[in-house]
Amino acid sequence: MSQTIVYREWLHRNLNTIVPISGLLLLIILLRIANPFFLTSWDSVITLIYGMSFFLIAACGLTLVILMGSFDFSVPSVLKLSAMIFAVLYPSIGFLSIPSALGVALVFGYVNGLLLARFGIPSFMATLATSMVAEGLAQIISGGYTRMITDPAFRAVSTTMILGLPAIFYWSVGLWLVAILITMVTPFGRAVYAIGGNLVGANLAGINVFRVRVLVFMICSLFAGLAGIFYASQIQGAHMQVGVLDTIPLFASVVVGGTALTGGVGGVHRTLLGVLIIRWLDSGLSMLAIDLNIRMIIFGAIAIVMAILTIDRRRIKIMK
Amino acid sequence: MKYFLIALDIIYVERKMTSSQAVLVEARNITKTFDTVVRALDGVSIEVRKREILSVVGENGAGKSTLMKILVGIHPPDSGELYYLGERIPFPKNPIDALKRGISIVYQERGVIPHLKVYQFLFLGLEDKFTKLGRLQLEKIIGTAKSVFDELGIKCDLGSYLYELPLSTQKMVEIARAILSIRLATGEGKEGEVTPLIILDEPTAPLSIEERDELFDYLLNLKKENSFIFVSHIIPEVMKFSDRVYVLRDGKIVAHHDLSAEKVTEEELFREIVGRESYYELLARYGYGQEQPEERPTVLTVRNLTKKGYYTDISFDIHKGECVGLFGPAGCGKSEVAKTLYGVLSFDKGKIIMDGHELKAKGGPYSRIQKGLGYFSGETGKELFLYWPIRKNVSIINFEKVVRKHLVAVPVISLRLEKSLAEKIVKRLRIRAPSVDTECYSLSGGNKQKVSVGKWLEKSPKVLILEDPTIGIDVGAREDIYEVLLEMKRNGISMLLVSDDPKEYAILCDKILMLKEGMVQRVCTNEEFRGLMGL
Repeated sequence: MSQTIVYREWLHRNLNTIVPISGLLLLIILLRIANPFFLTSWDSVITLIYGMSFFLIAACGLTLVILMGSFDFSVPSVLKLSAMIFAVLYPSIGFLSIPSALGVALVFGYVNGLLLARFGIPSFMATLATSMVAEGLAQIISGGYTRMITDPAFRAVSTTMILGLPAIFYWSVGLWLVAILITMVTPFGRAVYAIGGNLVGANLAGINVFRVRVLVFMICSLFAGLAGIFYASQIQGAHMQVGVLDTIPLFASVVVGGTALTGGVGGVHRTLLGVLIIRWLDSGLSMLAIDLNIRMIIFGAIAIVMAILTIDRRRIKIMK
Repeated sequence: MKYFLIALDIIYVERKMTSSQAVLVEARNITKTFDTVVRALDGVSIEVRKREILSVVGENGAGKSTLMKILVGIHPPDSGELYYLGERIPFPKNPIDALKRGISIVYQERGVIPHLKVYQFLFLGLEDKFTKLGRLQLEKIIGTAKSVFDELGIKCDLGSYLYELPLSTQKMVEIARAILSIRLATGEGKEGEVTPLIILDEPTAPLSIEERDELFDYLLNLKKENSFIFVSHIIPEVMKFSDRVYVLRDGKIVAHHDLSAEKVTEEELFREIVGRESYYELLARYGYGQEQPEERPTVLTVRNLTKKGYYTDISFDIHKGECVGLFGPAGCGKSEVAKTLYGVLSFDKGKIIMDGHELKAKGGPYSRIQKGLGYFSGETGKELFLYWPIRKNVSIINFEKVVRKHLVAVPVISLRLEKSLAEKIVKRLRIRAPSVDTECYSLSGGNKQKVSVGKWLEKSPKVLILEDPTIGIDVGAREDIYEVLLEMKRNGISMLLVSDDPKEYAILCDKILMLKEGMVQRVCTNEEFRGLMGL
């Protein structure tokens, strides 16, 4: 009897770890059954890496914002804008276009942070608005055309093979590790969790809430910008469809990993699991020739189910 | 000052209670165990008589709340029997079931819904008894509300919003609602047949002293028709207003007093609650605050501090190692002054000078902590990160003590340093926890507060602002916290105290500012203060 209670308690506490891992294993088995060639060749592994890497970078940035209890809907738009600036400016100024693109991304992050921390606008509202601005800017800069860059150096940023794996793999894993270190071992990371967990307490503990909020939004936009640059390099240019359908999958992968949308619970390390699940599911469904619209429905449903499973109801007193 | 003296004087209200009064509800041998480890209640038996105020007192974690939750059907007991008017009945399965038996509970915190009108709140959830073809019969509701309020003697406008009412009246409305729910659940018209039993869980916690008196006058009036179980740890109140007292300790009833028949002193009751010496003896052991010699350097200077609508022209100095108290009834501006000093609130006029530096009006706690200020509030839910382990709660304001600079000068928190820091505090403050990795929500109230104060002990700021430092915790934990605060004081840390308990000022403060309506009425020494308070 007592054994069952202990077991149940353990299960309940670790639900947000068990669900993603078992989900991933189940998914691998299902994909293997549906597609006998799944993960059988090195090429298919590399294809998967290309499909996931830029996505992981963007998701890591977003995880920081969600841990802080805020939202950033501008990630896909900033990603697109930065990819576009990189591709449009590359022919004239070469690799100086990378700092330009990242600079613009940082400005967006700064504005997002300022709107929340100084003007008190809820972050989902503020970032929806700035994402519109980013969309418009991307449209103006590109003139609405697809920009193709054929220069091999441009492509090399992401695709240089090192030890049999493309450079983007190392970039994304490296940035993932950096984000993990920031959140797990630095006082800054502690402050992010503190703000997400108990805003009043964080303020009373002398945390500079204003600065942390602005910095987190800037880091998130910087990661989105980097994701855009690597993605542009990977696909040899940029077009207006970049990142268009990524909002829901991005949020889904953060939540599926086990980071609660309410903030303060979870971590960047979990996001890798979420990204694996969501991207594999995506590619598996498209392999099975399932319609894009149906796929969107499935992602929406998964995001909801995972939000229900991961939200720790003890911590939420009032839900509005 | 008159009401203070009244509140502190122990006036024994005339009790007409006799032992012949019929027993309304009796619980026998209740045992309750949680998670197979903690024995929350161990063979507890209590009886509630008709038309009485019965107090149940005990330290936090003694089992008071568990017992009440069993009576209203939130927890099922492991074993035990329940009798209603001498007849054995099953334990209620849920609060609605309990309501049908005439038992209801008013919680400490749930409170009212401020943006509802009085009559809307009164009938909240009971509307289906007052609808006709799906339409609310507003006239009938207001009519019923009027007659209930007249009967219960509550004076307030039914159409006003609850937030407009004083806290004591809000509590009365809550009690009226509990009585009304019982009547509706047990069937209208049968008034007088069922004696409602209302459980009040620490009803006076958010109230000021005069509001408490008002509430108790009201309860004494209601006693003619109803029975109350009053859960509290404010001893003077219990002594003054209840007919009988049960003392719970570690899940057992350790004492029972019929206050109409026997004389019990506050000290005796205290001793029964904690099972060891009370903090009166602590007073004797540590002595009272002393006026500080003038040659001690001034740490904090406040001049003509004004915030419109809260306080006016507040001026005082705090010397090194001195504790200054701001004393006054709720709403006198004392807690606003404390919050202003810590930067949670801004101010309009005046100056705050700390060590020769003037503090900005809109600095925020971040800049104040840098200047050497600290703030410790008894409201642990506000200050603690309840779902963090103890060690993280300690290091959140002590990063400089747990951080190591590795390559590229990135500050990295060392788990080892963090743990040893937290372990030091757990040991020093006798915090009862399995390890420093225990999440704070699972600690008892007193231990939570000790974690809160422990982090400041380690930080050792120049001036520590204390706001209700021991609110809602038991006497044992209180002693431990006073001991730590007095040690910090001896080590030269200055303090500012805001509290509701005059004894706290007597123990900690050297100088006390009496506030009324946002203005300083007089400044007195510890000795003068004790004279005024009759301590």
